[in-house]
Amino acid sequence: MRFDPWMLLDYWELLLQGTWLTIRITVMALVLGYLLGIGVALLGMARSRTLRAIAGTYVEVLRNIPFIIILFLVYYGLPFSGVRMPALFAGTLALSLFVSAYYSEIVRAAILALPRGQFESARAIGMSPAQAMWNVVAPQVLRTIIPPSTNMTLTMMKESAVLSSITVPELTYQGLVIQGNTFAPFEVFAAITLIYWMIAIVIAETSRRLEARVGLAQRQSVTRNPIADRYLSLERRPAR
Amino acid sequence: MKFNFEYLLSVMPRLIDASLVNIRLALIIMALSVLLGTGLTILRAAKLPVVNEVIAVVISFVRGTPLLIQIFIAYYVLPSVGLDMRPEVAGVAAIAFNSMIFVSETLRGGLATIDPGQIEASTALGLPPRAIWYKVVLPQLFRRVIPVLINEATIVVKGTALLSVITVVEVLRTAQQISAASYRPFETLLGAALIFLVMNLVISLVGKFAEARYAVSRA
Repeated sequence: MRFDPWMLLDYWELLLQGTWLTIRITVMALVLGYLLGIGVALLGMARSRTLRAIAGTYVEVLRNIPFIIILFLVYYGLPFSGVRMPALFAGTLALSLFVSAYYSEIVRAAILALPRGQFESARAIGMSPAQAMWNVVAPQVLRTIIPPSTNMTLTMMKESAVLSSITVPELTYQGLVIQGNTFAPFEVFAAITLIYWMIAIVIAETSRRLEARVGLAQRQSVTRNPIADRYLSLERRPAR
Repeated sequence: MKFNFEYLLSVMPRLIDASLVNIRLALIIMALSVLLGTGLTILRAAKLPVVNEVIAVVISFVRGTPLLIQIFIAYYVLPSVGLDMRPEVAGVAAIAFNSMIFVSETLRGGLATIDPGQIEASTALGLPPRAIWYKVVLPQLFRRVIPVLINEATIVVKGTALLSVITVVEVLRTAQQISAASYRPFETLLGAALIFLVMNLVISLVGKFAEARYAVSRA
């Protein structure tokens, strides 16, 4: 087998277009998914039992079905009930629905983790429920949700590769096209993999800066003894 | 076209038959990933020079790239280096490798919760490393990570649906074959979705029992 990464240069435009579309899809699903997720989280904390049940079912159903089936249901299924939509739109919608179920759980957990007194005292000094949510609860929630949201956004970005199966011309799809033209799977998948990897690193790095900005306290590393570290730690540390 | 509930019912038997494939593959994958993930964790704990750095790169790679691509690599790339595998085997290898990394990362998190005093005590008693792992660390570790492993099992079950793209005839592939003949994708896909929903809800339920039965008593 010959390894010839230079032949990919002939296809740089396709790779670039694919990368750009993957980034755009990820950002759109992040925004749309978060809006939906916040809605579902608030619904899940509503006073009405029916509304809570609806939110709970939404989350359970979307979390327990493979994303590829959610995608196919949106893309092939909805047109049969009279809604016809282009692949890119269907794909972004499906991805947003999928990730919103997880975002809503993150938001819900963060709100529930706040002491009830925060909301109640804000109400007691005369804030409306909306004001209390926006001025008191939201800024504190923001801090807790960044790390898990980053993880979920990374998962979602990777899940967007599945959109290739409904012909959305994102990175994976372009990779499969190039592989069909060149029959060089090794070079193509090496390139695609590296690009996904870089996108993931950029997302993780962005989130780290964001964390630093909202003043998330650095988790202190537990000082351990060297004997226990032989079994309980996986990192090599310089000897003290 | 209207939604046809009777049609949905009529395709269920075939989809349920196909679900046995998903269940079998998921069981093999989970067994492999827990076994290999544990081995990998013990290897990482040995803190050998170079080995840990290489493993760190592999972990970053597996966590930073889509499972679908990893499946494609096992299916398209490995044959060109002489490893020609059946689609099922390639798929199981890809998902198991992916899951093994996540299991090892889970165990790493669990290790941090184990009381260092126990290791000191075991070492002071002169227990050999093998006994410290098997009798002291691992039994406690697995009890603690049960919820996360259950969650990983549902992720693996969902992952088996991706094997349809490399021609493994499982639930989703069967649903696609049926709807290609009947032009009723919505009902058949809904049937497939229901099957995954039931499988994963059962796993979560079993997980709740296992947790109640084996979890660390938090008294």
